[in-house]
Formats: sequence, structure tokens, C-alpha cells
Amino acid sequence: MPAGRPGPAAQSARRPPPLLPLLLLCVLGAPRAGSGAHTAVISPQDPTLLIGSSLQATCSVHGDPSGATAEGLYWTLNGRRLAPELSRVLNASTLALALANLNGSRQQSGDNLVCHARDGSILAGSCLYVGLPPEKPFNISCWSKNMKDLTCRWTPGAHGETFLHTNYSLKYKLRWYGQDNTCEEYHTVGPHSCHIPKDLALFTPYEIWVEATNRLGSARSDVLTLDILDVVTTDPPPDVHVSRVGGLEDQLSVRWVSPPALKDFLFQAKYQIRYRVEDSVDWKVVDDVSNQTSCRLAGLKPGTVYFVQVRCNPFGIYGSKKAGIWSEWSHPTAASTPRSERPGPGGGACEPRGGEPSSGPVRRELKQFLGWLKKHAYCSNLSFRLYDQWRAWMQKSHKTRNQHRTRGSCPRADGARREVLPDKL
Amino acid sequence: MSRREGSLEDPQADSTISLLPHLEAKIRQTHSLARLLTKYAEQLFQEYVQHQGDPFGLPGFSPPRLPVAGLSAPAPGHAGLPAPERLRLDAAALIALPPLLEVVRRHQAELNPRAPRLLRRLEDAARQARALGAAVEAVLAALGTETRGPRPEPAAAAAAAAAAAATGAGVFPAKVLGLRVCGLYREWVSRTEGDLGQLVPSGPA
Repeated sequence: MPAGRPGPAAQSARRPPPLLPLLLLCVLGAPRAGSGAHTAVISPQDPTLLIGSSLQATCSVHGDPSGATAEGLYWTLNGRRLAPELSRVLNASTLALALANLNGSRQQSGDNLVCHARDGSILAGSCLYVGLPPEKPFNISCWSKNMKDLTCRWTPGAHGETFLHTNYSLKYKLRWYGQDNTCEEYHTVGPHSCHIPKDLALFTPYEIWVEATNRLGSARSDVLTLDILDVVTTDPPPDVHVSRVGGLEDQLSVRWVSPPALKDFLFQAKYQIRYRVEDSVDWKVVDDVSNQTSCRLAGLKPGTVYFVQVRCNPFGIYGSKKAGIWSEWSHPTAASTPRSERPGPGGGACEPRGGEPSSGPVRRELKQFLGWLKKHAYCSNLSFRLYDQWRAWMQKSHKTRNQHRTRGSCPRADGARREVLPDKL
Repeated sequence: MSRREGSLEDPQADSTISLLPHLEAKIRQTHSLARLLTKYAEQLFQEYVQHQGDPFGLPGFSPPRLPVAGLSAPAPGHAGLPAPERLRLDAAALIALPPLLEVVRRHQAELNPRAPRLLRRLEDAARQARALGAAVEAVLAALGTETRGPRPEPAAAAAAAAAAAATGAGVFPAKVLGLRVCGLYREWVSRTEGDLGQLVPSGPA
């Protein structure tokens, strides 16, 4: 085969050269006549092998017969010279190699087995693919966004490590009729996922499975059967607003709108709210807000910025009995609770006893109690004992409509004492 | 514009020729593009080497620099040629590269399907080589220098087809071909940057 055609450096302004000479291409393994150079061929070319198996290979030198010899040839694998005892000269022009107990391929493009001449020059190469057949993919899960599409995710078998490029194909078909279809949009939500954007039927089950294939074989997952309506999710609720509740320092009001894509279908939607203090990573979750689009958070710290998010579960859509799939959380919305009121002039502090947990309902009642006291008495050095007596009185009053007198007392500013009788609340 | 203005027949007098402002801007712009693509070509080469596995990335790895049909490396005497001839060779090589880069990209899509950045770089390189080649031709045209005959696109496509067929002989030859093509791309873009740099008038743009 003639030497390769020179490139643009030697071209001149002539007619374009005929096509045939352009097919002159020298690659490794194709001997060049007349040059005196040696090339070689490795056999087998690009074999695929199981991990732990053995390989018998040969490097046969071509070229000038008087110069071609297997003496002095050597092998490298991924750039590392192989021990001489692994090789043996079969004949004058052929060097053999025996490798046992092969490890998995170091790179997906194949391990580079190279035959070298005595001077180190490369005579030929072959790529080895050593790995495992795929195992059965499993754990398929799917969801539909607003009943318009279907996205599925799965786990590859054997944690995906086959040492070979393994192709995963998501297949689906209508359960009782129709042909197999193949998903085409891969890696949409991770490496083992696929998205079906359109042409999906409702009220009829689909069968979905994953096929894994590589050079050493294939495997198929179990079939998942589902109805699109049972795996519906939606967008996060838009227009989430968080605002104060008047002057209440421990409450915030949260309002939102039903996700617009499904708002005409969300008769039974559930919502969840989560909130956290600005400089905290711990979220508190308010579960099962049911089908409302507003909620009041209570028991919050005064004068504190809170971040709030809402999400939606469109369960029961079109009569589906399944649990539904939560949407993503809405973008965080922030608001702050009012600061605590300062104590009034000349008054003692009306604070909960040290160590008392400041639970929401207790604080609300205490605030009401203190508000009442300010109207009807001047109190200092209050204690929870007095507060508890008041609460007990309140409960009895509600049950029997009889008035019970407290035994505590709040001194008035003029030093007089009087019994405290709560107003009818 | 007369043919004399902006002519570069005398390479020794390049620096003394007064170029029209728009021509000067065009040369600067193309030179900047070549400088940027030189950096990208180096990145492509390194990324390519990384994904083929050793010994491709090892120092001293030296597969035979076999010629690729339709394209060879800049000749040793390239720098001594007149400026128009150098630019013509640069343009011809850049225009010959895209089909070869596409062949390499297709091989790598099978060999390294999980290397999206490599595949993207190869695709971008084909586009960038075409753009730089066209820009160099535009500079030549603005200089009043004719490009060399019809575009060698049929030849380049045939070379690419030959390369694709030849590398059906095995994966290792395909890896070596890709290395060669990426190396040629790097060499020719760098050569183009150097040749244009000699045309850029000294002083601020």
C-alpha cells in the first residue's frame, strides 16, 4: 500500500484529486509496502471477557520478512509492561501472551493491550473489555406531573458496577393492548431515569420495565403496573404569603393558592407546611393541612424571622384511591413575628416561671390573663400558682356557670387588695 | 480597496504596510479567535487523552504519527513561506478538520458514552475549526489574496469516510486516529494563531 497522501502543505491549485488515492490511509495493522517498516496484528481484536477469565493473545509481525522477528517484542497493558514470563515466542514472527484471572476494565473505552517492538515503538493494539453481565434493575418508581407526562427512576442491579458500558432502556406498554414503547429522554432526574413527555392514557394501567444490556448480556427488571392517575404530582402551590396576625407575637398567617394546573381537580388535595427560624436548619412540619389554602402558625418566638414553605399532594384525583405524590416545596417565603411588648410603667414583669416551657396555648392564655389583669388590677410578683387558679376557675365557670372565687390576690397600686373575678370572656 | 493596499506579497515589509482600519480590526479579531481556540484545542486534547486510558496519557507515549488522508501537520518549512501561502494552508487545514473531528466524535460516542464533556468539545471543535477557517479566508479575501481554488470539501468528506472505514479495523486504531486528529487540530489552530499574529500591527487596537 503506497505511503499516505501528503496534506495541504504540498497541494497546488489543480483539479481536485481523484477519489481513489484518498482512500490511502495508513493505520496500525495495515502494512506499508516498500517502506521497510514493520507493523503487526493482535489477535483477538477487542475481545470481551468475564472478570476472572483468561486471555490468550498473539502479536504477529508483518513487513520485511528479513527484519520481522518476534524476538525482542513485548507487551504492555494500560501502559504497564507485562512480565516476560507471561509471553512466549510461538514462531519467528509471533509472540503469544497468556493472562489469567483478569480484573474488570479500568476504563469504559477498554483496556489498552499493546504490542511493542524492541525499541519500544508501537506495532499494534487491541482493547480488552473485561466485566460482568448486568443484573436485574429494580426499585422502579414513576410519577406524573399534572397527568401530562411520566418520569421513572430505577436502581441498576449490582449497584451498576459491571466495568462495562451498560445501556438501560425503559420500556412501557398499555397492559391489555398496544405495542412496546421505548422511552427516549434519559438522565432527566439522575443517571437512571427517563421521561415520557406525552401521549399517555388515563384510566388504564401501564406496564413498565427496564432492560439492561452490555457486551456480556442483558437483564430485565420486574414489571411495574400503574395507572397514571395513581402517581400524580403537581407544581408547588404558588403565591405563598406569610403575614402577621395583628399584634400577636407568636403567630403568623400563611396563605397560598392551589396549583393552577390541577386547581379544577384538587377536591381532596392535602397540603403540608414547614417552617424554620432564619438561622436554623431544622424545619418544623405542619402535617395534613387538608384541603385548605390557609393556615395559622402558632407558638412562634416573638421578634423572629421565619421561613415558610408549602407543598401539595393531589391525592384522590379523578377518584384515585392511592396516596398521591407530594410536590416540591414552594420557594421559601419569610416573615417576622412582632417583638414582645415591654412591661408597663411601674409594673413588675409578668413572665412565665423560670424553666416553664413556653408552649403556644399556655402563652396565649397567659397573655389574655395578663391583659385582663391590667384592666382590672395592678399586679406585681405574679406567680403561676395564681395563673393556674385562674385557669381552674375558668374551666369550672364554663362547665357549671357558677362563679368560683380565686384565692390569690393582686395588690392594687393603692395597696388595697381585692379578690380577682375574671370577666366573662 | 486596491489590491496593493493590504497586500502582503513582501513578508519582510508586513509591519510597514498601512492596513485599512477595518482590515486591521478583522485581523485582530481573527487572531483573538485563533488564540482562544488554541486554548480550547489544548483542553480538548487533554480531555481526549484522559478518556482513552493509559498509555495515552503517559509521558513518552508516542504512537506512530501516521498521516491522515487529506490532512497532515504543518510542514517544517511552513514558517518560511510567504504570509498569504501560510494563511491559505491554515485555512485549507481548518476546513478539512471538521469531518475528521465528526468521525472521532462518533467513535467516542460509542467508546465513551458517559463522557458528555468530551463529546461536546469534539462537536464544538468541528464548529470552531470551520468558523476559524472561514475567518482566515475572509482575511485573505480582504487582503486581495485569492484562496486556493474550490474548497476541498469533497476531499475532506472522502478522507473522513476513509478514516471511518479504516478504524473499523479495531478500537485501538480508532483511539489512535482520534489522538492524531485532536493533535492536528491543536497544531493547526496554534499555527494559525502564530501566522495571524505576524500580521497584527503593533500598538493598541
